[in-house]
Amino acid sequence: MGVQRSFLRKVIYLVAMVPLLGVLFWLGQPGTPPSESQPGAAGGVLTQMRQREGLTQTHIGELDPATETIKLATLGLRGVAAMILWEKANDHKMRKNWFKLSATLEQLAKVQPHFISVWRFQCWNLSYNCSVEFDDYRDRYRWVMKGIEHLKKGITYNRHEPILVWDVGWFISQKIGKSDEHKQFRRLFREDDDFHGARPLPLRDSWLVGKEWFREAEAMVDRGDKVKSGPLLFRSHAPLCQMYYSDTLEKEGTFGEVAHRAWKQAALDWYHYGQFDMTTSDGTIYRLNDQEMYEESLRRLTEQIDQMAPGAREKIFERKLAGLSREMRQALETHPEKRSPKQVDLAARAEEEIKVTYDEVARSVTGPQRRKALELADKAKQCEDMIRTIKSNRMTVNFNYWRLKAQVEQTADAIAARQAAYEAQTAYKRGEILTARELCERAAGLWRKVIDEFPAIKEERSFVDDIMDLVKQYRTVLAQFNAKLPPDFILGDIVEAAKKHEI
Amino acid sequence: MEITDWYLKSFEEWLRVGPVNGLITIAGLFAAVVVLGGLLALLRSGPQAAVAGVARGFAEAVLDVALLSPRRTWAIGLLTIKESIRRKVVIVFAVFVLLLLFGMWYLDPASVDPAKLYLDTVLTATCYLVLLMVLFLSTLSLPTDIRSRTLHTVVTKPVRKSEIVLGRVLGFTIVGTVLLCLMGAISYVFVTRGLMHRHQIEPADLELAEKTWSQSWEASTPRPPLRLRTTRVHGHRHFIYIEPVTQPAEQGKVRSEYPAQGDLSTEMEAGHWHSFQYQFQRGADGQVRLSYTVGREEGVFQARAPVFGTLRFKDRAGKDADRGISVGDEWTYRSYIHGGTAAAAIWTFEGITEDNYPEHRYPHGLPVEMTISVFRSHKGDIEKGVLGSLSVCNPRTGETVLVSMFPAKEFAVDTQFIPRKLRDKQGRLRDLFSDLADQGRLEIWLRCEDPNQYYGVAQADLYIRAHDAPFWLNFAKGYFGIWLQMVVIIAFGVMFSTFLSGPIAMLATAATLVGGMYAEEIGRVARHELYGGGPVEAFIRMVRQQNVTSEMEPGLRTTLAQMSDSVLEFFLRIVAAMLPDLGKYHFAGYVAHGLNVSSDMLAKCSVSVLGFVVPLFVLGYVFLKNRELP
Repeated sequence: MGVQRSFLRKVIYLVAMVPLLGVLFWLGQPGTPPSESQPGAAGGVLTQMRQREGLTQTHIGELDPATETIKLATLGLRGVAAMILWEKANDHKMRKNWFKLSATLEQLAKVQPHFISVWRFQCWNLSYNCSVEFDDYRDRYRWVMKGIEHLKKGITYNRHEPILVWDVGWFISQKIGKSDEHKQFRRLFREDDDFHGARPLPLRDSWLVGKEWFREAEAMVDRGDKVKSGPLLFRSHAPLCQMYYSDTLEKEGTFGEVAHRAWKQAALDWYHYGQFDMTTSDGTIYRLNDQEMYEESLRRLTEQIDQMAPGAREKIFERKLAGLSREMRQALETHPEKRSPKQVDLAARAEEEIKVTYDEVARSVTGPQRRKALELADKAKQCEDMIRTIKSNRMTVNFNYWRLKAQVEQTADAIAARQAAYEAQTAYKRGEILTARELCERAAGLWRKVIDEFPAIKEERSFVDDIMDLVKQYRTVLAQFNAKLPPDFILGDIVEAAKKHEI
Repeated sequence: MEITDWYLKSFEEWLRVGPVNGLITIAGLFAAVVVLGGLLALLRSGPQAAVAGVARGFAEAVLDVALLSPRRTWAIGLLTIKESIRRKVVIVFAVFVLLLLFGMWYLDPASVDPAKLYLDTVLTATCYLVLLMVLFLSTLSLPTDIRSRTLHTVVTKPVRKSEIVLGRVLGFTIVGTVLLCLMGAISYVFVTRGLMHRHQIEPADLELAEKTWSQSWEASTPRPPLRLRTTRVHGHRHFIYIEPVTQPAEQGKVRSEYPAQGDLSTEMEAGHWHSFQYQFQRGADGQVRLSYTVGREEGVFQARAPVFGTLRFKDRAGKDADRGISVGDEWTYRSYIHGGTAAAAIWTFEGITEDNYPEHRYPHGLPVEMTISVFRSHKGDIEKGVLGSLSVCNPRTGETVLVSMFPAKEFAVDTQFIPRKLRDKQGRLRDLFSDLADQGRLEIWLRCEDPNQYYGVAQADLYIRAHDAPFWLNFAKGYFGIWLQMVVIIAFGVMFSTFLSGPIAMLATAATLVGGMYAEEIGRVARHELYGGGPVEAFIRMVRQQNVTSEMEPGLRTTLAQMSDSVLEFFLRIVAAMLPDLGKYHFAGYVAHGLNVSSDMLAKCSVSVLGFVVPLFVLGYVFLKNRELP
């Protein structure tokens, strides 16, 4: 009897297992890729969901047995393991135990290979924080590259993360191109056969290689991969790399046609960047290049509205001005530089209150044209909003400055001016002070021509600083002749502008 | 690597302090056991019987321990070995082999310093594995025997209970020792073979070298060295520089030629170098051919036997100071000396005599190795290292002679030789041993010569590299350290299993093991050396997400927390004193960093382990004796 009951129980268990296994199969059946002979299978519900959301291991990145083993071996305590490893990594860094830090980061990456922040942070840690601990610049370079290699490894595990590719571009361009040791780093980078492989020598420039990586990240986004940061900053770095490349070429003594082509390319890249359709957080689409177009449209629309209601704008303004409180009027009448903090606030409020909107002017139109006037006011308001949006975004990336710079620097005069200034400096170092003086004067003359052609550069600090470097050099050379800067110095206005900037 | 006093102190120095503390702890422990036993007997049978019982028990214990039979102890040990084999102890060995087989997935030969990585990982993994194994074996054996009544049969035989405890410890130790020997042999082969490699010369460089060699050079400046790159193996490559031989030529010019053959070394990379022999030959067709041999890796595995000195400092005004200054580094192991001032780090060495350092063994002079940390307060010349100087000084007369000026090499071992004959400022020739050392005492002064730059040093950062020990022996010492840890854990495991059930004994031993691994940290918490206060204060900070350095709000809660911490810290101090500091017996760091584990170190560790094993054995015996067995 006992045996029978036990047997029966086993049979019941087996029967109960069959539907459960069925459900399991329905949920978890693995998919098979199509082959020549068979069409392939989509797999169970979970497999299909993973495919749809791009979460399959093969979709995310490279399959690595070591990583998978660690994931299994931690028995679901991956988070704890990662935390311990992270702590250990910090401790090894503090104790300057570099080989252990390196090994811990490897383990950390294996425990959480798809945690993007880990790759990004630790690459930063290696390239910036660890490299700076070394006194020898060659060691520093080695650690910068170690960080970059670490990030590249992260990309193999996360093939659809443009931000990692973008970061490689950032580290190559910024860390190698802009750190204190940039001269040494750029030289070592050029000589780094292991990193470049078959890349030809002229293309082994850190800015150009950085640009390649930025462009690859942009291409990934264009192909549909997601990135959290907006296009304004994300897409600005590739054209900026071209700018810095051109700039560095001249700083390192390359001028003429090579510099001209580089700057021309920089201007073109910046133009294309300005042509890209950006989207604001509220969904408005704009292009950085379009500000001038909208300003022109706004000017026309304003004219049209004002023609429909002649004198209305002035009347509304007068009315609003009369409605201001005595303090507000007083604040407005006070010169902006002499306003007290309270008056600054009052003046800002007053300016807002006396502002005449397009809608107010349009509403003063009567008769059959009123409807059209309101439509035009609406368009003007849209233009105004768009201009504000573009202006603010342009400021974020210093758009106007870079556009002007690329435009100015590609001119033959600007290139020749920089070449003369560079040669003056080297001549002075060689002790050829007469040549240095002539070259300084030549450079100053050429800069004069450039400034006359592009007066806007007087307002740009960077240009003024560059020119002031030349002035300083000239002063040093003149001192050798017991002379001073002449009162009618050709760049006197820039010297004055520099004083203003210093204030 | 941080080298602590534990490594630096000699056995004699340690013997004056270390065992005294240990003996006080042991005496306290036994007094507590006797008092507890006496109290129990007092409650059960009254004062007279209690005194008699304690005295009888003490006498029996002395007899049981004194009359131990090696034959019977060995028999119990043998039984334990058989039991361990029955418990499939070989599985641990299989896991170890598996770890090594798949170890290559996790051990990257292209890492910063692969030898350190391999050695540290292999020794640490073996340690964890063996400790885990003995934890299970030692704690489950006796309770299982008691539960299955096997022990009841044993105790009916003429076997003393002390022999049962000692036999268990002996048996498990033998099993662990055999396993460790096997693991040691296999891992030695794994490490040495895993890093074995050779390089070739890059074909492009070979071609260029052949072309360059045949070209003549006559110019105002000498020819630059001929640079060759090796192929990339294990994630690194080496550079080789063939220096030209330069001779004066006509019109103030020089003629430079590269030697046709030579015996050189590659530059150091990834912690090693290779020998390089080459020969340029012109063939019958007039073509130049470069034949060469790049040797096996050298310097990967070392066991430097350093002679340490004592360190003192001079501040920037030249006055004596306990430490150098802090440059704000979070890690306070090193302190810094100010460059371009009178600040100096001074090491005093003993035994610097002609007999200890004879010329035939030290032909270049006294070999001094340094690892200096550099802190720049301004960029200076990026392409040049921060300049420093090394001088020797007679501690009695104060006579100082400059040895060398050098650019600092950070995070690398820089070797300098102090010649036997030195010239002082007046140009007089001074003898290192007779003029500058005073009865074997010699001071070595390190200064940073670049103004406003800093050198960071600790006591172990400058030493005399007297000789090198064989690496295999140092590797074996690394395993001996694991063996010591294993013995301690076995002793704890067996002791706990004499009065606790299997799982509880295992938990208690595991707690001891974990506590032993973090003994130093526990000690620091107990001594209030860590930021964030004691356990209760730290808990409050964690819950409130409060910074560890900010002051706690004054009030009742803080007062209560700090009072509780004082009590807890008192108990933690006791726990820390009783826990075996397993980190001290773990020599993996020294082996990996190429430092010889000295005989002093081995002696200190062995005595310290003995200080645990003997009382644990006695305690185990006492507990087993008082257990109700027939």
